[in-house]
Amino acid sequence: MSRSYDRALTVFSPDGHLFQVEYALEAVRKGTCAVGVRGKDVVVLGVEKKSVLQLQDPRTVRKVVMLDDHVCLAFAGLTADGRVLIDKARIECQSHRLTVEDPVTVEYITRHIAGIQQRYTQSGGVRPFGISTLIIGFDPHDTRPRLYQTEPSGIYSAWKANAIGRSSKTVREFLEKNHKDDLSRDEAIKLTVKSLLEVVQTGAKNIEISVMESYGKVTSLALPEIEAIVAEIEREKEAEAERKRSRLAATAAGQAAMSLRAGDAGGTSGQ
Amino acid sequence: MEVSFALTGKDYVIVAADTTAARSIVKMKTDQDKIKILSPHLLMAYSGEPGDTLQFAEYVERNIRLYQIRNLYALSPSAAASWIRRSLAESLRSRNSYAVNLLVGGFDTTTQEPHLYWIDYLGTMTEIPFGAHGYGSYFALSLLDRYHDPDASLEEGLATLKRCIDEVSKRLVVSPDRYKVKVVDKDGVREVEL
Amino acid sequence: MEYNGGSVVAMVGKDCVAIACDLRLGNQALGVSSNFPKIFPITDRIYLGMSGLATDLETLRERFRFRVNMYTIKEEREIEPQTFAHLVSSTLYEHRFGPYFIEPVIAGLSKTPSGDLKPFIAAADLIGCLNFAKDFVVSGTASAKIYGLAEALWEPDLEPEDLFETISQTLMNAVDRDAFSGWGCLVHVLTKDKVITRTLKSRMD
Repeated sequence: MSRSYDRALTVFSPDGHLFQVEYALEAVRKGTCAVGVRGKDVVVLGVEKKSVLQLQDPRTVRKVVMLDDHVCLAFAGLTADGRVLIDKARIECQSHRLTVEDPVTVEYITRHIAGIQQRYTQSGGVRPFGISTLIIGFDPHDTRPRLYQTEPSGIYSAWKANAIGRSSKTVREFLEKNHKDDLSRDEAIKLTVKSLLEVVQTGAKNIEISVMESYGKVTSLALPEIEAIVAEIEREKEAEAERKRSRLAATAAGQAAMSLRAGDAGGTSGQ
Repeated sequence: MEVSFALTGKDYVIVAADTTAARSIVKMKTDQDKIKILSPHLLMAYSGEPGDTLQFAEYVERNIRLYQIRNLYALSPSAAASWIRRSLAESLRSRNSYAVNLLVGGFDTTTQEPHLYWIDYLGTMTEIPFGAHGYGSYFALSLLDRYHDPDASLEEGLATLKRCIDEVSKRLVVSPDRYKVKVVDKDGVREVEL
Repeated sequence: MEYNGGSVVAMVGKDCVAIACDLRLGNQALGVSSNFPKIFPITDRIYLGMSGLATDLETLRERFRFRVNMYTIKEEREIEPQTFAHLVSSTLYEHRFGPYFIEPVIAGLSKTPSGDLKPFIAAADLIGCLNFAKDFVVSGTASAKIYGLAEALWEPDLEPEDLFETISQTLMNAVDRDAFSGWGCLVHVLTKDKVITRTLKSRMD
């Protein structure tokens, strides 16, 4: 069949690139930012919410979804692709329970999702999923929080903290600078919000935070709670800036005094 | 011999099923739970061909749960029962079908009403105030015709159920000796001791 | 047909039609439900009754609802009784070599070219062989008995109330002599401007 050759969209370029996959990554980079942070016994997902249109119902635009009782997923990229992938993952969660009577582990479902994404880079007549995902959760009978990432190419990896989507590089660098091991619940939430604030200019109302504290215990923070954290971060920043200013002022004053004294001693120079 | 009963009352449904797992003439187990909790306000008692029963019940359980995760709310009892009926009807005309009889009881939280559905392995479904599957139905239905009251309190409902169980114990040649009883009402699902 | 039991009948009157069924659902000789209607509205002026295997009754009800909804959307008009009868027939014949165990009865008021409404009844066997009768059609476990009573009681051009009485007496007395039908009846009389729906109490043995 001669037709079977031109069906595939994802073929290698002569220098070894899969352009379609790289374009998919570009779609991810255009998507809204999502951050995941793993603490001591907590894992937090934060996403940048696009501000909805005035007459739109914000509850119908979701970037953080549950896959099962104990697994939560956030994605960046094409929302329409996300929905399809999420549905496949949810079916797998229930199917896994049905066949082996156990809930999925976080790594298992991550591997499954990455497997689907990989398949769409290699089979004919399809295009890759234009999304990266962050998957958080707890394994059954285990207290360790988990954080995984998947990409359109089908790569998956585990992280202490990571970001995907718009300006994810900036946020990742921020996380690299500020992440410590064994963060408490509040510290982890604060770090998530803080890192998101690096790219979200509009503040609390465009941030959504989901916290998972143990197997099946998920809470999503209400707006006032996020506002409080944002306010606290801003206060700290203000205080930091104030300290810097006063230190700057002090050094400036010191320098002035020195140059004044020098001037006293050696007369005016260049003034 | 498998026996299951269910009856509605004032804002609740009681579902009861025996707990014996038998193979041929031998009792293999006497603490088998044959009532699945499908969602916060939905119960399903299943009986029939061993193997098919659990396989089908778990298939239903996972699909009802999947619906809940996809749509962030649970199916109403009538919708769930219709879906289950259809699954059975489609299975009946497939190469190998499930031989499972069901009693689906639920509390509709939107209308605050209890509902009970009788479904057999052919996919026959009807909404009923009370019903039974297995040999127990030959003894219990006439008792329930006489004693069932749709406005009865939970205590009265359980007393009526007790009558049915006692009658089966008295008259059925090989009667089960233990039952599991579950209730669903506005507060959800719970197990009760008789 | 004797597995679940049940009977349906439809009759023509003067500018009206009537359709009636019993309310029993059985599991062979054991009665399971005394509230199991076998007649369903298809449009405002078409009613479909079915007797036979109860699981197929429900499956076909879902199927016809789907096919009539698709017809209404695609054609942007309500389906006519004649058209619906052929839809029923072809749906049943699709399963010629593994049939649905259902004998349908259709009652409706069809539009004449002048815009008047004309009574219409039809019945079919389980593989969709249509029978357009001018007087009455029957189906179900009590069909032989219904034929006898209908033959004796029915006359042409009955007014709605008289037709109601005729169909009620026909069905009730027939199902009382049938072990697999009974436990109450449901009667619809379709007239030009309204549908009269009544449930009848009958012997519960």
